Amino acid sequence: MDQLFDVSLFASTLRMITPILLAALGGALCARVGLFNVGLEGLILIGAFSAIVGNHLTGSVWLAVLFAIVCVLVFSLLLAYMAIHLKANVIVVGISLNFLALGLTTFSLRAIFNVKGAYYDKSMVGLPKWDIPLIKDIPWVGDVVSGHSPLVYLSIALVACLQYYLFKTVSGFRLLAAGQNPVAARSLGIKVTHIQYGAVLMCGVLCGLAGAQLSLGQVTMFTEGMTAGRGFIALVATMLGQSNPLGVAGASLLFGFMDALSTRLQGYALPVHFTMMLPYVVTIIAMFFFKDKSYLAEARKANESSR
Amino acid sequence: MDKLKGILRALLQPLLAIVVGLGAGAIAIAIVGGSVTETYAEMWKGAFGSFYFFTNTLSRATPIMLIGLGVALAFRAGFFNMGSEGQMVLGALSAAVTAIYLPGPAWFKLVAALLAGVIAGGLWSAFAGWLDARFRMNLLITTLLLNYIASLFAGYVVSYPLMDRSGSAAMAQTVMVDKSVWLPKLFQGMSLHAGFLFALIGAIALAWFMRYMVKGYEIRMMGGNPLFASYGGVNRGRLMLYSMFVSGGFAGLAGAGEVLGTQYRYLDGALTSPGYAWSGIMATLLAGSNPLGTALAAILLAALQTGGMGVERNTDVPLEVSSIIQAVLILFISAKFTYSFFKKKKKAGA
Repeated sequence: MDQLFDVSLFASTLRMITPILLAALGGALCARVGLFNVGLEGLILIGAFSAIVGNHLTGSVWLAVLFAIVCVLVFSLLLAYMAIHLKANVIVVGISLNFLALGLTTFSLRAIFNVKGAYYDKSMVGLPKWDIPLIKDIPWVGDVVSGHSPLVYLSIALVACLQYYLFKTVSGFRLLAAGQNPVAARSLGIKVTHIQYGAVLMCGVLCGLAGAQLSLGQVTMFTEGMTAGRGFIALVATMLGQSNPLGVAGASLLFGFMDALSTRLQGYALPVHFTMMLPYVVTIIAMFFFKDKSYLAEARKANESSR
Repeated sequence: MDKLKGILRALLQPLLAIVVGLGAGAIAIAIVGGSVTETYAEMWKGAFGSFYFFTNTLSRATPIMLIGLGVALAFRAGFFNMGSEGQMVLGALSAAVTAIYLPGPAWFKLVAALLAGVIAGGLWSAFAGWLDARFRMNLLITTLLLNYIASLFAGYVVSYPLMDRSGSAAMAQTVMVDKSVWLPKLFQGMSLHAGFLFALIGAIALAWFMRYMVKGYEIRMMGGNPLFASYGGVNRGRLMLYSMFVSGGFAGLAGAGEVLGTQYRYLDGALTSPGYAWSGIMATLLAGSNPLGTALAAILLAALQTGGMGVERNTDVPLEVSSIIQAVLILFISAKFTYSFFKKKKKAGA
């Protein structure tokens, strides 16, 4: 048991949750304004790919991250325009965005790098690893917390920021109001569409960061469909966390831990299928206990009234 | 005359979407420096160029059609069933297990295997419906989650208890189904199997059911206006169970058909990696949940996919050009909701 729960398990948990957590926070923002963003998967994939392209073109990691954010912003603008302006069904737009992302990235992989499957270049530098001065000397905590990419720390900071923004600031309250009752919010002079656009674009920024962490954080490469369902897991984490930044962080932590644990358990007798299944089972059970929150009802209304 | 106009208007949007999709594809082809006409000619040849390719396209369309029909039924009732993948996988696994281990004459095993597929897919789907109807758990999320659970469970079954240990290849798969239980091929030497007939019959039966049966009317009513439906005495929970069962049953049949007609065994990942389930959902979206339209859209999507393979074989343009066309198609189609929305608004204003 000591061997199972050692330091590297927790360290890898922290690394694995970062893309999920960032995307899930974006999903939570969208859910709070009444848009159920199913396109997270595609947005992360675009982020991961454009981060590699940016790195290839500019040679700078930070410009690459910026490039990823800009590219994802373009696509989330498309989603926002179709869903808010054109009133297309947001779930349908999200699903088609996922298809578009998968097709476009694989196509561009061939078009830009002329490779199939995966692109890897030894000269590319990934995100730096930051050692936190004081904490890194604390025996156990230092090994877990220190030595990750800056995006890992950024994601943790964002949880606190978003929690504060949503529940302690005026503009956060306006955002919640726009999601909870758009008609009432509009009658108070709140620009609901502006807020919705803002939330979707912010979600795009977060997904861009998530993608950058995925392709430049742990490994420095891009493989076709490398998100491998992380966007959907993020969606589930959003639901499980009740679109509450702290809750979302907790849910992502659970997924990351299970993910890391299932990789670890491969060496043991327990079939890996069951450990991989665990997060999904846990989520279903958790959904059973936490439900019928107002925003959930909104989401349900949205998907009941559509064909 | 008005009816003809209505049909034309209904067809206008999908046709326009196809033109836009092909246009986007043309841009992509031009960017990589391929010849647009040559690429599209190869795509046409790869999908419909010869009898062999044509039947190949139809056999790829078979699971997409079946899944699309099931999803169309659920969408019509207003239920977002995203769990076709898991339902198909469980249907395929149950069909394979039944066909391999059930004693009895071959025809009996075949029928039992198909039924097992339908029931397994249906029950898995109805379970999600039950969770929503009984506990108000969001159907979209539960079906997505159940996908993972089903695929992992099937993966476990074929890599531990029922793994094929006879061959040298250590693949996660069951042993082969006996030849007598295979679904017959429709043409000698072609990949098209009898499952395609099921899909055709299913499309016609579903169209008829939705139009002329009381239950079909209830489903349409529930999707169109849930409040009105419940006022008219439709029990949402029970309707959800039924429609989700049938919806999953179609997906299960798709899986069973693939196992008994193409793969002849359950191989882990063989059904999930070609993305049949998502293509089926795309077909439904493309056709606006119309059963016959879904069948046509499934053939169109399958043609784009097999055509893309032809493009890959014979030109320098990558196969993924067809996924770009498909995605743009769907994006454009979702704007259809807009069109009807504006019309409604105008009427209300007048």
